[in-house]
Amino acid sequence: MHNLDTVFKFEIIRTLKKKTFWIMALSFPVIIGFIFVVVFFSNQATNEAAKSVGDQKFTVEVTDKSDHISPNILKSLKAKEIKDKHQGIADVKTGKIDAYFYYPPDIKQQNVEVYANDVGLFDNSRYQSTAEQMLTASAASKAGVEFTAILQGQVNFSSTTYKDGAEYNGFKQLIAPGLFLVLFYILIIMFGNQMLTSTTEEKENRVIEMILTTIKPRTLIIGKILSLLVLALIQIIITLIPVVIAFIFLRENIGLPELDLSNIPLDPARIAIGAVLFVFSFLLFTGLLVAIGAATPTAKEAGGFFGVVMVLIFGPLYAVTLFVSSPEAMLVKILSFFPLTAPIPLLLRNSIGNLDPAEAVLGIAILAVSAILALGIAIRMFRFGALEYSKRISLKSLFPSKKS
Amino acid sequence: MAKSPATPMVTVKDFSISFGKKKIIDRLSFEVNRGEVFGFLGSNGSGKTTTIRSLLGIYGADSGQLLIDGKTFSVDSDIKLGYLPEERGLYKKESVIDTMVYFGQLKGMAKADAKQWSLDYLKKVDLGDKATTRLDKLSGGQQQKIQVGITVMNDPELLILDEPTKGFDPVNRRLLMDIIDEHRRGGATVIFVTHQMEEVEKLCDRIILLKNGKAEAYGTIKDVKNKFGGASLDDIFVKIYDNKDEVNHA
Repeated sequence: MHNLDTVFKFEIIRTLKKKTFWIMALSFPVIIGFIFVVVFFSNQATNEAAKSVGDQKFTVEVTDKSDHISPNILKSLKAKEIKDKHQGIADVKTGKIDAYFYYPPDIKQQNVEVYANDVGLFDNSRYQSTAEQMLTASAASKAGVEFTAILQGQVNFSSTTYKDGAEYNGFKQLIAPGLFLVLFYILIIMFGNQMLTSTTEEKENRVIEMILTTIKPRTLIIGKILSLLVLALIQIIITLIPVVIAFIFLRENIGLPELDLSNIPLDPARIAIGAVLFVFSFLLFTGLLVAIGAATPTAKEAGGFFGVVMVLIFGPLYAVTLFVSSPEAMLVKILSFFPLTAPIPLLLRNSIGNLDPAEAVLGIAILAVSAILALGIAIRMFRFGALEYSKRISLKSLFPSKKS
Repeated sequence: MAKSPATPMVTVKDFSISFGKKKIIDRLSFEVNRGEVFGFLGSNGSGKTTTIRSLLGIYGADSGQLLIDGKTFSVDSDIKLGYLPEERGLYKKESVIDTMVYFGQLKGMAKADAKQWSLDYLKKVDLGDKATTRLDKLSGGQQQKIQVGITVMNDPELLILDEPTKGFDPVNRRLLMDIIDEHRRGGATVIFVTHQMEEVEKLCDRIILLKNGKAEAYGTIKDVKNKFGGASLDDIFVKIYDNKDEVNHA
């Protein structure tokens, strides 16, 4: 395609030279990095606080009307047992002791009461923790440690499910094809506006006539789309760098789950369907956004249509539970096969595994035809609409009865 | 420079175009010979720009032929074209040199050649220190110089200038005239779309006068003057566009 590489390089380089691109590109990882740092220090502070709370000693009196507290536990915590609740509270008030715990006769119906001297918003929690530990340890000493663990839900389980005779993990299965859904979401969110305004610049700057005598509109549009894709990849890499660094070096500190990539199942059919759906979905919305940009006289006016397109693309996310639980529902079918809402439902259903092959083929066909149509309209809009510097053009004006 | 000396550089034959129900050009025919400066004259709305855009394939004709070097123009044509449109502008947020090199490459120049040509041109028009300046930081006159440079940077065989002096200050007008003259002497064909009669008399070999999409006069300046009783081009223009009935078709 004549001059495609020239357009592609020009669009990439001039975008990379813009401060706004780097502000946008870096703000996302900076925010993610900032969140990681906050979580890291917050976890560290919490651990240290918990450790210091555990280490701290305080004087305590206990009244046990429940008969559940073991004398040995009281002894090990150097807690003094008293009979009179009012005396315990008075001792706290006068500062004679740090804390007083009252265990009522029926702990199922009545509250365990904790009275203590204030030691700060966060450190005050140590009193209730100790009262709770006292009760739990006493129960464990009577029932046995394992029985207590069962009652406390501290038993680990592992599940293995099978589909068609082979081991199948629904959550792990959706990771690989689900990446296309995530990628589509990120691309549209980050670059939708840029797609929309990619051709308005030529129009607003009155540069279009000089362009049209040196290059075909199709080449210009494709060059711009390819450059947007590369810029999006750059953006994604920039965004992922801090995530990968955080995962490798700070995973345990910030409480990220362990991820064993070798365990992620790769279903070639679903991955292939996801890839094809992603490509045509991306082309459909690129064509649509470029067409809107070419049909409107200014970037500002084009921006007004952006919200409508976003609602069409991401509106189906509100029905996400329906896609998971009732793939046969009429609404799911409509959203899956109406071109402008189809990308999210089709990509999502392919990820979770309830898009059957016939539906996948139909969905791909609908998206492919719509994408080609949208790109064709975008190119025609650009060719004929670009010279309408001050007015919006209509679809009808693209297909006049006599002119070309 | 001419590739087929026997073929006119531009041939327009029975060209018609309508926008909606309005007929803009009605069976227009003319030729532009190689190496001549051809004046394409007419008042506002007479169809000059529409004809040029149709010739360059930006608009599609309803009927007729519009040929450059014997072929319908496309961006893949091997003709070296320089076009300064009536509606003109540049990538305002890009630097001067980046914009010039981009257009040079689009016109088929190697990047290094386009850059060298641009730097030489900028020095020639006293903008040598503005190569890396953003275009929107330049004055209107300086931007005009850049536009003229972009138009001629590929050493065009056919130079189409649509209202080229519109909005130009006297210095840039002189610069443009010098550049046109330079290219004519180099063998280029120039189509000069204007209603500035003084420039036409100074530069053009032949002219066509358009009114409501039809040719009112066509030929050498001398022929046209003779046809209208020896009046000046200015007078002929006024007569044609103000009151046709008074024109003496001698």
